[in-house]
Amino acid sequence: MFIKKIAKHTAMLTMAAAVSMSASSTYADSVNYIIPFGPGGESDISARIQQSFYKEKFGDDLVISYKPGGGGAAGWASLNGLNGDGQTIMGVNLPHIVIKPAQKDVGFTTGSIHTFYMFHYTPDAIVVIADSPYQTLQDLIDDAKSKPGGVVMSGSGKASANNLAQIKFDKMADINTTYVSFKGTGASTAALLGEQVTAQWGYTTVGAKQGKAVRMLAVAMEARHPLFPDVPTFKELGYDMVGGAYRGIALPSSASAETVTTWSNRIGEINADPAFRKKMISGGFALLDVDASQMSEFMKERTMEYLLDARAAGLIK
Amino acid sequence: MDFGNFLAALTPLNLAVAMFGVVAGTLIGSIPGLTATMAVAVLVPISFSMAPETALILLGAIYTGAIYGGAYAAILLNTPGTPSAIATTFDGYPLAKRGKGDLAVAIACFSSVFGGLVGAFALLFLAPPLASVALAFGPVEYFWLSIFGLSLIASLSQGNLMMGLAGGALGMIMSTVGVAEISADIRLTFGSQTMISGFEVVGAMIGLYCIPVLIDMCSTGEKHLKITGDVAKMPILSAARITFNSKFNLIRSSIIGTLVGILPGAGGSVAGLVAYTEAKRTAKPHQRFGEGEPDGIIATESANNATVGGGFIPTLVLGIPGTPPDAVILGALMVQGVRTGPELFQSNGSIVYTFIYGLLIATVLMLPIGLIIGRYAYKSIVTIPKAVLVPTVGFMTIIGTYAIRNSISDVVVMLCLGVFGWLISKYGFSASPIVLGLILGPIAEQGFVQAWTIGAAVNNLPGMFFGRPLSQGIIAVTLISLILPWYLSRKKQIKADT
Amino acid sequence: MIDSSAKAVAAAPTDRGSRLGSILVASLLIIIGFITLYDATSYTDVDSKVFPQTSAIALILFSTLAIGKQIVQPTAVSGIELGSWWRRIVLVSSMLLACALMPYTGLLIACVLTFTLGLIASMHDKWTNRKAIVYFLSGLSIIVCFYLLFKFALHVPLP
Repeated sequence: MFIKKIAKHTAMLTMAAAVSMSASSTYADSVNYIIPFGPGGESDISARIQQSFYKEKFGDDLVISYKPGGGGAAGWASLNGLNGDGQTIMGVNLPHIVIKPAQKDVGFTTGSIHTFYMFHYTPDAIVVIADSPYQTLQDLIDDAKSKPGGVVMSGSGKASANNLAQIKFDKMADINTTYVSFKGTGASTAALLGEQVTAQWGYTTVGAKQGKAVRMLAVAMEARHPLFPDVPTFKELGYDMVGGAYRGIALPSSASAETVTTWSNRIGEINADPAFRKKMISGGFALLDVDASQMSEFMKERTMEYLLDARAAGLIK
Repeated sequence: MDFGNFLAALTPLNLAVAMFGVVAGTLIGSIPGLTATMAVAVLVPISFSMAPETALILLGAIYTGAIYGGAYAAILLNTPGTPSAIATTFDGYPLAKRGKGDLAVAIACFSSVFGGLVGAFALLFLAPPLASVALAFGPVEYFWLSIFGLSLIASLSQGNLMMGLAGGALGMIMSTVGVAEISADIRLTFGSQTMISGFEVVGAMIGLYCIPVLIDMCSTGEKHLKITGDVAKMPILSAARITFNSKFNLIRSSIIGTLVGILPGAGGSVAGLVAYTEAKRTAKPHQRFGEGEPDGIIATESANNATVGGGFIPTLVLGIPGTPPDAVILGALMVQGVRTGPELFQSNGSIVYTFIYGLLIATVLMLPIGLIIGRYAYKSIVTIPKAVLVPTVGFMTIIGTYAIRNSISDVVVMLCLGVFGWLISKYGFSASPIVLGLILGPIAEQGFVQAWTIGAAVNNLPGMFFGRPLSQGIIAVTLISLILPWYLSRKKQIKADT
Repeated sequence: MIDSSAKAVAAAPTDRGSRLGSILVASLLIIIGFITLYDATSYTDVDSKVFPQTSAIALILFSTLAIGKQIVQPTAVSGIELGSWWRRIVLVSSMLLACALMPYTGLLIACVLTFTLGLIASMHDKWTNRKAIVYFLSGLSIIVCFYLLFKFALHVPLP
């Protein structure tokens, strides 16, 4: 009697397994794209957009999995232990992979992460709510000068892109604002919308998502963002700030030069697709095309820049 | 909001998708270690090829099914299948041990459906005003809310108050292990690389709840759960009767769940906890909470499913995810080019309303589906010989814990916590305060540090912490829930003495 | 939950051994509290210290009070009930063994081994050949099915 039951259950389970296997394509081809954060953040969203283009271009499945922990450290520390055959890739973020190892022993060094493509960045931006008394960047600066420390700005994470931007800008404008760190851009945006803080150090993606509910005072780009032609850049207003959080993809260090080139070309191809670019831009992202051949130069510049900024900010020694 | 959207939700494709979502979600949620977030994340790629409203219905159906499915393991194995089912173990497992596991599962089903409907109706009619309530909750309110949650631990540990509070404090310390969110320090890792990501909540939950049960089960030969009555038939009618007789509890808990779901960062676990404590506080004299009182299950299961609808409110109205599965769904929507936020209801109203109707339909479908799957789950767990059940569940804890962060060390930690939890449970300490401390710790810490930073910046610390009306309300409720039971029992004692 | 344990232990006698165990556990928690306080001295940012320190102090306080209560007005605790120790140890060790083996043999083989050991640990009835085969095969099929489910349907990269 028990045997019959077991047989019945086994048959059902096997059927279910077979159905699910056929529903997903053959496993041998699918690629594992690890995001070293939890789901829902900017890294996840941009990866999802890539995922939607990957299958039709290259035929395989791009499967996104998450390995959160330590603000990305858990994922990056494990990267070089993974299989380098090209079936596993991992998202990387600047300034995280530069600043974290410089602060403490987090299990990896900047040099140990072999990034092969930087495909976008989210430009820093100062965001206020639509009802805010600040109409221009100068309004914020004037207010900050009149009450040192009294202008409270939310941002995502400490020693992150937002934090660095806040410290850098404070120095440039000779003001003193207070930075409050939140867990993720969603939380820092909620604080802004709920008027828990005066303004937010966020990204252009916040402006894109929130639309008319917010106003961006300035963006840290070379030229104005196509989605926001009315928002000036910091440079126009006299502050040399261009940057944000950069995102790219890396392979384990054991990957061969061929694998690296193949992947660099694949991501480059997705990046060049006009439909992909349109989706990214309409989400507020800004695209970047740094492939494997240009990577070491790019990383050298960025590393120097970030370490300089972080040292000046007192975030590292 | 016209009839057309409702009809759109009833197309064969959308109905099929709703049904598939509920079935898949319930099954995935019932496996400890597989969370609603995972369930949703896995099926996101399939949603790309669908129209936005169909994709939303699929993901929403999975989400609500998973929250319900967590009750099975909670009731039958004392292990929450998802964190939102933690409070269901309080009365679910004792009821199962008394031989009424099938009744418990059926009650859980009815309550989940009711709670889910309340949450979905709130989404349908009250989304914009409720979204502004969500925004009014700042760091200070989150801090006081977590203090309230921790005070609930005290009220739940009445027999062993000091031990319960110690457990909660231990949980809070455990939540600080690893890289600090609010600063760049690394805490309590003692140089080890493994603990840098901290204690993973679901793994710790499985370890502290499930492993002790397994150890106990294998050490004696008795049957795991008593069976009373016919295993093949579910006591559907009596479950329905019991559930709907408790109208006040049902409605109150569903509202609590909806409101907690609106707050980004608070989830089903907090909702279940608050609803349970409220139900216990207003219990009638003959009710014995903690020993298999059906009202306990009604409270937690309706509250946690209400968070599904509630969580969609800030997600759709503000573009800010109410709960982790909402974050994944937001991502999927972004890929589809659907912009959430204030624009959504205006420019894409038909998508939103079709989705909400679809969610309502999926929740209603959960009733028959949930009862069927529930009966199957009950039968299997109760009739499988213990010798097979124990290693099978052991295997599932391993594979489930691994799957959360793809980490073997999480599994080892889970097992160590399991042994530790088993040991201390023999000496008066219980798993729930520790797990609740682990969940509420980060909320309390971040809220406190953020509130302190802002308060110090505007030179008004006392005003920051005590001067805001919403915080004052939460503080008042906390004090009442701490003092009232003590006061009432004193009054009873005095009356008895005279 | 906790009330039910209170009811259960009201029936059990207040046995000295169990009370001692309870005091030992509370002492362990106090030690954990002090370790936390010690570690907190090494943090660079003031913000990171507040919460662990407060929680550690709370832990030490409550554990001390718990010990006090046990001495003055003992609440009975269940203690470790009768039951076979070797089974408990085999069960737990088999699961830890799986973790140790997983990087080398892969999850499937490690878990099959664990299942077998766990089966032996949990089997209280007499073994018959038939039972051995049926139980083992059923477990095997469940393991394989879930492995397939996780690996292919859910795309979890299992070792």
